[in-house]
Amino acid sequence: MKRRRLLWAVVVVLLVGALAGFDFLHERGSAQEFEVAAEFELHPIVELPTIGPFDMSINKAVVYLWITAAILIVFAVIIRLTLKPRPGRFQVIMETLYSLAHDGIVGAVMRSGRATWFPFVAGAFFFVLTANLIGLVPLPLAEHWQFGFYTATANLYVTLALALCTFIFTHYAGIRRNGGLRYLKNWAPPSAPPVLKQLIWVIHAVSEIFRLVSLAVRLFANMLAGHAILAVFFAMALIFQSYLAAVLLQGASVLIYLFEIFVAFIQAFIFAILSAVYIGGALDQEH
Amino acid sequence: MDAEAAKLLGAGIAMGVGALGPGIGLGMLLGKAYESIARQPEVAGDIRTSMFIGIGVTEAVALYAFVVALILIFVA
Repeated sequence: MKRRRLLWAVVVVLLVGALAGFDFLHERGSAQEFEVAAEFELHPIVELPTIGPFDMSINKAVVYLWITAAILIVFAVIIRLTLKPRPGRFQVIMETLYSLAHDGIVGAVMRSGRATWFPFVAGAFFFVLTANLIGLVPLPLAEHWQFGFYTATANLYVTLALALCTFIFTHYAGIRRNGGLRYLKNWAPPSAPPVLKQLIWVIHAVSEIFRLVSLAVRLFANMLAGHAILAVFFAMALIFQSYLAAVLLQGASVLIYLFEIFVAFIQAFIFAILSAVYIGGALDQEH
Repeated sequence: MDAEAAKLLGAGIAMGVGALGPGIGLGMLLGKAYESIARQPEVAGDIRTSMFIGIGVTEAVALYAFVVALILIFVA
């Protein structure tokens, strides 16, 4: 039964992919070239005036973020209204994810301040997870309203904003718990000899900046690379100019797609767990 | 060699060489983690948590190479 269902899924994806490839060739003519970078270009859907340095126009990434927020709000309201002692399927999934955030992420790495910082870490986890998974659903937001793959998290500005939240909350948490001067002093071990101590402090200060950069770039580059590979595999008909190669390689795209679902989970988990590690480290300083 | 070819070559080399180190590192990390889970299955949860932190930190190095390759192709 299970195997038959999987087989059907593979057949459906193969057919859809072959049809999409046929559509591509048929509509655009076989001389058309496929450009991966074009999938990630942002064209304004609604043009709005620029306020200072900020371009307020609504583009694909903004719409994807709205969809993410809407799904999160709707799911939260539904789960709140239909909370039952004997959970149904939907509630079991949500409870599993909640307990993953509560025990697997916050409970596993933070020693204190769990109740205070759980909402932020869990919020980051669910937001990144939803944004990543929405990116795997083709939506008609590409150029000329064609169906296309895009994720808000494949945009450096979105991930940098998320990482900035973690960065600011980390230092806010540290200063609130330990006091400003003591928090900064504790960046270097107090027992170290004088000159070495200052050197360690500078290295730590640089590493704090690089935490911010790596947190943003990790999520961005993972999602961008995954979606670039997906786009290339789905456009095999266009690249090889052959229906046969396209139909054969669509099978590989199913595997890539499954792997991308896994990556979406892993990246959300890593983002949340690193946020928890950084905030926990600022709360309970080692030295 | 014209500038465009040099760009593409540089991007390819950056990604390829940049993936070498993190690949070795991830292999060692996952191997050790699974080894210790096999030795002590009762602490599998703790090991898995710290394994994911390690994966995140190691993988970032390869992704820097990826970003450098993108910059070489599209910006430089």
